This record gives sequence, structure tokens and C-alpha cells, in this order.
Amino acid sequence: MINYKQNLKIGVSGVRGIVGESFSPTLIAAFAASFGRYVGAGRVIVGRDTRSSGAMIEHAVVAGLIAVGCQPVLVGIMPTPTIQIAVVEHNACGGIAITASHNPEQWNALKFIGGSGFFLNNVEAAELLDIYNQADVEFAPEEDYRGIRRLTDAFETHKNKIFAQVNVEAIKKCHFRVAVDCCNGVGALLSRDFLEQLGCTVFTVHDALDRGFERPPEPLQENLSKLAAIVKQHECVLGFAQDPDGDRLAMVDSCGQAIGEQYTLLLAVDHILAEMPGDVVVNIQTTKAVEDIATSYGCEVHYAKVGEINVTEKLLEQGAEIGGEGNCGGVIWSRVHPCRDSYVTMTLMLEMMAESGQSFDEIVASMPRYVIRSLKFPCNPAQAVNIVNFLNEKYSRERICRLDGIRIDFRDYWVLVRQSNTEPVMRLTIEAVSVSLVEHVVSEFSALIMDLTKE
Amino acid sequence: MRYLKLGTAGMRGVVGNGIDPLRVIDYAAAFGTFVDGGTVVVGRDSRESSLMIYHAVVAALINCGCRVIDAGIIPAPVLHFMTEELNADGALLIGAGHQGAGWNAVIPLNCNGSYMNSAMLQELLDVYHSRQYRQAAWNELGQAVLPEIKPVEQYLELIAANIDIELIRQKNYRVITDFCNGSGAFMAEQFSSLLGIKMIPINNLDSGVLPHSPEPRPRSAAQVQSIMAPLTADVGFVFNSDMSRCSVVTDSGETLSEEYTFPLVADYMLEREVDNRRIVSNICTTRTLDKIVQRHGGTLCKTRVGQALLIDKMLEVDALLAGDGSGSTAFRKGVNGFDSFMQMAVILEAMARKNMSSTELAANLPRYHAVKLTLPCRSERAYKLLKNLRNYFPDAKVTEIDGVSFEWDNGWISLRAATTEPVIRMISEWTTHDEALDRAMRMRGLLERLE
Repeated sequence: MINYKQNLKIGVSGVRGIVGESFSPTLIAAFAASFGRYVGAGRVIVGRDTRSSGAMIEHAVVAGLIAVGCQPVLVGIMPTPTIQIAVVEHNACGGIAITASHNPEQWNALKFIGGSGFFLNNVEAAELLDIYNQADVEFAPEEDYRGIRRLTDAFETHKNKIFAQVNVEAIKKCHFRVAVDCCNGVGALLSRDFLEQLGCTVFTVHDALDRGFERPPEPLQENLSKLAAIVKQHECVLGFAQDPDGDRLAMVDSCGQAIGEQYTLLLAVDHILAEMPGDVVVNIQTTKAVEDIATSYGCEVHYAKVGEINVTEKLLEQGAEIGGEGNCGGVIWSRVHPCRDSYVTMTLMLEMMAESGQSFDEIVASMPRYVIRSLKFPCNPAQAVNIVNFLNEKYSRERICRLDGIRIDFRDYWVLVRQSNTEPVMRLTIEAVSVSLVEHVVSEFSALIMDLTKE
Repeated sequence: MRYLKLGTAGMRGVVGNGIDPLRVIDYAAAFGTFVDGGTVVVGRDSRESSLMIYHAVVAALINCGCRVIDAGIIPAPVLHFMTEELNADGALLIGAGHQGAGWNAVIPLNCNGSYMNSAMLQELLDVYHSRQYRQAAWNELGQAVLPEIKPVEQYLELIAANIDIELIRQKNYRVITDFCNGSGAFMAEQFSSLLGIKMIPINNLDSGVLPHSPEPRPRSAAQVQSIMAPLTADVGFVFNSDMSRCSVVTDSGETLSEEYTFPLVADYMLEREVDNRRIVSNICTTRTLDKIVQRHGGTLCKTRVGQALLIDKMLEVDALLAGDGSGSTAFRKGVNGFDSFMQMAVILEAMARKNMSSTELAANLPRYHAVKLTLPCRSERAYKLLKNLRNYFPDAKVTEIDGVSFEWDNGWISLRAATTEPVIRMISEWTTHDEALDRAMRMRGLLERLE
């Protein structure tokens, strides 16, 4: 087997790598220049999360953009959804978000946003790569240069767009006590003020901009102990856990217990459908509970491949208002902008409590409960195809979805087997109605996959 | 046109076609490696492309682990000054100085603020060509910070220490300055209030666009010249975009060739400083300078063309001044580089101390007439061409310190391949303009036949 260091990933989700190893200023400037050529000479919104390498990367991006005749519009440290919205609000040709989202801190990435404020889709990303792969980037002469602009009120615009869509007065009246774990990310700059404007009393943890992440960015229970403690200490109704670039959200209840990322989307869907029934679009790694809730409102759920842009495109195609990615706490509400947005999500949670008069714990308790497990197996691409085909045949009489790997829905459980986009592994996700059933199905499918991957 | 030159004047070329962010990143990474991740001051002129280069340079240096001191838009002499003052390990000066719009350059500076000499440049280029650059770990990247000192204020103190400010103040001079929308404009007010002069600056916008050729030659001085009389100005100065060069316009409206700036400064400085009479210049500087130095009983030491060589020689022989015919002077007691604020201050002091108008000062100079021509020629052909030329003039004294020069009793011609552009530069200087022009044209004809 070829032994290689997989620390540079150029693909649909942008270009990402490890700073100090593969993610060099030359690579970054060349990508920024190619992106500038791709979207055309005009404004390009540039923002970043709080990673310490962000400044270096921003300099390289700016140089690459100016050199092809684009005008970088710098928003500084800003949430990814804010950057997406700014692209639309300022009629920019595109945007670049400098963030590796939930990846560890040594990673960083360029995420490319098209003129509609959405990430590039498969086809667009391939076109961009084609430009990048040409040996020579064409640079502009100095007379075509347009300088740099800075934008200080990008989040203000974002916030106003959210507040225009919710019942701010109702939320304010409740004077919620809430805690936020900002993961030392963009939330450290904005979340306290945002929630205070919604009348909340706010307690924050991991709220430094310049100290690194201090906790692993994945919002697992064991990574949220400080949030749990502060929620209990200050008797908050709930605690929010943001990721470093502010698009995804996990939550803990008033006892400091993590409710699981799948519930973030579930609660948002319930709240929106209660007011305005309609179609829902989620990725295939999303809890069945969403279907249960949708069915109860007489609404339909459509599935999309994993990845924000896939869900967004399906959402627009179906004319759906709400959707997202259950597995990572990503809620998309198209009334603000069809992108994952933790600020929208926090606001919807507060509005849900304000309008229903129920506590967060009560709302969570009223939701359908499933148990979900995720595992991964070392697996090469040939074996992966083999496994998927085998399962497809074996369970041909069940409800099968082949959008991304294979998802098989049984009466009390579903199984998703798909190859990772980022690692040479097979991911196995199983959701069932009870712990015992999950354990049983996990052992059954693990054995099957182990057997099929045996050399 | 595609053009890139890596040499004594740093990395230089046509923006977008030679100078691009990828090349600049490599060059700055080589520099960051050369200074081993130390402290680097970065300053730039106001051109649009200088901002692009600045961002590329900072990304590369930070990635090497360097601490970057961001001097912003700053005149070259102030960058020379602060590099030494801050004990930095080096500096990068972004800006093409006298070169026209569409060009730009990254010039590496030594830890003492001067241009790097050829041995150091060789080392830097070796790193550049090896493409093996210093790489900091993700959590040890460098940072860009603002300077902890006030560079402009401290630099002006240095000028104040070397100039009789009180004397100039008494005169209430009215001075017209053309900054060519360059980095000097940002200091105009502070400088004039220091010297108590009434300055009328033109082309002093930070638009990033050059209003005319930034080379301070008489043809660039038309605007200043036209308003000298209406505004009853005492003297005018035309600067290049980074304040390394200038030419002088007298109160009678004559624009002196930039060749006379250095002799004018030297004439007064040799009179003022009795204990140091050593002057450094290069082989193609006007004979006016030779006569001036003779007049004051000084010694003149000549080098090849290039700012680094002049400054190094000035420091080596502890000379009073070093300068050349491009309108530049470096001062031993000043910064380690060409400094046109200082040239302006010295000329004003000369007028004040001698109680003479600028026209009278200029009248004191023995005049020669120079004709300068640039002939397009790629460097690989230029060197051979110049070698062949030396046998054509058996009656002349031939020197080959830099390119080739021919000296006759009443004049001389110097030809050399430029370090900044693909051209041969010719200077022809005689006692009359007609003869200088005639000789230059004949030489050009010969070159064209030989090619």
C-alpha cells in the first residue's frame, strides 16, 4: 500500500491543509488568484475564523486576489454565514472564508463562495480546479488593480436580517439566562452582544480570541464540561456550543447534559413547521426523528448528500424553507439565507421557548428519541464500492437510498454506510429506537464489513 | 512586455508579467530564510501594486516565522533609518522609485538599513533558487506588528541635528515640491513645520497613481517650473516616488538637470564640513562634481554604479557624502541610503547661510551638458556589444569599472547595461550641449550598426 501523508485536501469543500506543512502561502495565493479569475474581476468578500494562522492566510489571499484585478473586501474575523450573506448584500462576485471549521487548530482551509452566497457545488469546484491546474495563472497589469476595501458592519447586517424574521419582542420579554461556549472562535467576538440584544443574560466560556481553541472543536459531551458547569452554576435554561466559524451549533440542557447534535436540527424543524408547514431537506446522515416530526405536520422530508452545498441546492430546488445537516448540528433556514448558521439556530431556539412557554428541557423531552452510533473502518476505495454493492443486493427489498454510499431504512432502525470524503475509511452510522437494538445492529453490520474487507 | 530582473536592486519587473504574488512570496521567503526568521521591517510606496506586494511579502515572512514590523507607506530614507534604529535583521522596501507606472520592485535592505552588497545578494539568490525556505510550525508563525517607535518623528530629529534649522526659519522660504504622488507626500507637513518653510506641495495625493514619470528629470519638472514665478517661490524640488532622488528648480524658473543635485549638495557640504573632504561617487557622474571637489581640495573616490556600492564605500572610507548623477545623495551623518529630504534641507541651508538665491547657487556650478539615452537591448546581448566597442576609439582613455567609458579632454561617454531594465544607458557629457548630443547620436549609430 502507498504510504502518503494526507495533509492536503483539494476538493469540493475547498482546499485545506496543515499550516507549516502543506498549506503554504504560495499555494494559497495561487488558489486565491485562480478563484479571482474564475469569478471575474470584482469584489470578493474575505473573512476568517480565529485560528492563529488566519492572518498569514489572509495576507496571501489578498495578494492573490489583487493580482488578478479583484477588489478584496475584508470583513476580518467573522462567522462563515456572515461572509456568505455579505457576498449577497454587497453584490460581490464571490467570497473566501478562511476556516477549517471543526478540524483541529493546525489545519486551515479556503472555502469558496460563489456570487449567490453559496459554496461552490461539484461542477463549479471542478471548474475552479481546472483553472488552478493550468501551469500559469494569468495576472493583471497594475492599471487594472482596484485596491482593498474594509467592511466593519458585516455582522450588523447579518443580525438585522435574522431579527427581521423572528419575534424579537417575545424573546426579549422572557429575559432568558443562557450560556455560550464560543470555542474561542468567532463567537467570542459576537455572541454575547448578539444574545444580549435578545434580552438574554449571557454567561460565556472559551471566549478568548487569541488563545487557541483550548477545547477540541467537536461538541461532544466530554468537550463541553466547562459549558455544563457554567449552565448549572448560573441556572441557565440551556447552553449553546458553537464551532470555531459559527455555522454549527450543539446544545446542553439546564442540567448541563449534551442533548446531541441531531437534536439541534430536529428542534429547529419542529419550531418552523409548527408555524409554517412545508417540505424539509436534510442530509442522509440525519436522525429519523425529523421524518417523524414532519409527518406529524403532514410534511415531506427530502434527502440530500452530505455537505452544506448539497443540502442548500436541494432546498432551493424543492422550495423548502428549513433543512440542514443533522449529524453536525447545521441548521439552514432560507428566510435569512440558505446556509448553516448558528446565530439563526440560537435565535430559533429562544423563539421556540418564548412562543411555546415551555422550558428547553420540556421541549427536548417531548421529542421522539432515537439512539445513534457512528463507527469507522479502514477501507480502500475498491472495497468500499464492493461493500456498497453487496449491501444494495442483500437488502434490495428494504427502503434504500443511494445518494451517498448506501442508506437502508428498516422499520425500527436505519443504517448508513459511506466512504469518507476526507480519510481512507468507511463510515458506518446506525440509528435505532433503543440502545439494545443499536448494539445488536452495530455488531451485525460490523461483522459484515470486517468480513468483506478481509484481505 | 514580460520583464523580471533579480539583481543588486532586488526583484524588479513589470507588474502582472514578471512581478506576481507567487514570485514575490518566493523572494520574501528566501529573505526570511536568509535572516533566519528574524525581525524584518516592511515599508512601501503608494503605488497600487505595492499594496499587493506588501500582502504577499507579509504572508511569506510570517510563514517563515519572521516578526514583521509594518512601516506602512514610508519614504525610503525613513525605512533606512528605522531598520537600523529598531535593530532589525533586515528590511524589504517595496516600490520602484524612479520607474514608471506598471513597474514595481522588492528591495532587500541590510540590518544597517543600506542596500545589500553583492556578496549578500548572491547568498540571498542562492536561497531563492534552491527553493528551500524556512518554515515555521503552525503554532510558531510570525506576526505583523506596528513599530514601537515614531519613525518619522525620530528621523526628523536626525535631520534637525544635522541642519541649522534656526537659520532656515529666519528666511521664510517659499518652496514648491512635487512628490509624484509618492511616499514623501505623507511627511510634507511635518518637514515644513520643522524647517519653518512655506511649502506648496503638488502631486501629493495617495491615489496610487503616478501623475508623470517619477524620474526627476527636467521633463518631469514642467508643472513645478510653470508655477515658480506666479507663486514667487524661492526654490522647487521634484522627487521620485520613494524620496531617494530629486532635481532642483531655481527661482528664475530653470530646472537643473538631476546631475547637478549632488554637486550642489557637495559644493556646500565641503565648505561646511572642514574636517572631512572625502566624497564617493560612481564612474558616470558629471565632471561638474570633479571640478567641485577639486575646488574644495577634496578627494573623490569612484565606484561602479549601484546604491549599495556607494554606501559601502562611504562607510569604508568614512566619506562625507556619497551620491550619483541620478539626483541622489547619502550623508555619512545621516541614514545609510539616498535621502532627498536631507538634500532639500541642505540646499535650503546653503541658500540661507550664503545668503544666495537658488539661481545664484546654481550659477556657482561649473556647467557641463549631458545627454542621456537609453537604448533597448537585452542584457545577454548588451554585455558582448559593450566589450566589442572598446577598440573603436583609440584616442580616448578607456575605463571598464562598469560597462565601458571613454574620456576625451572636453567630454566623455559612458555606456552600461542597466541593472533595472533591459536597456543600455548612455551618458554623453561635453562642454556644450550640441557636442554632447552630436557625440551621443554618433555613438548610437555605431551601436545600431554593430548590433
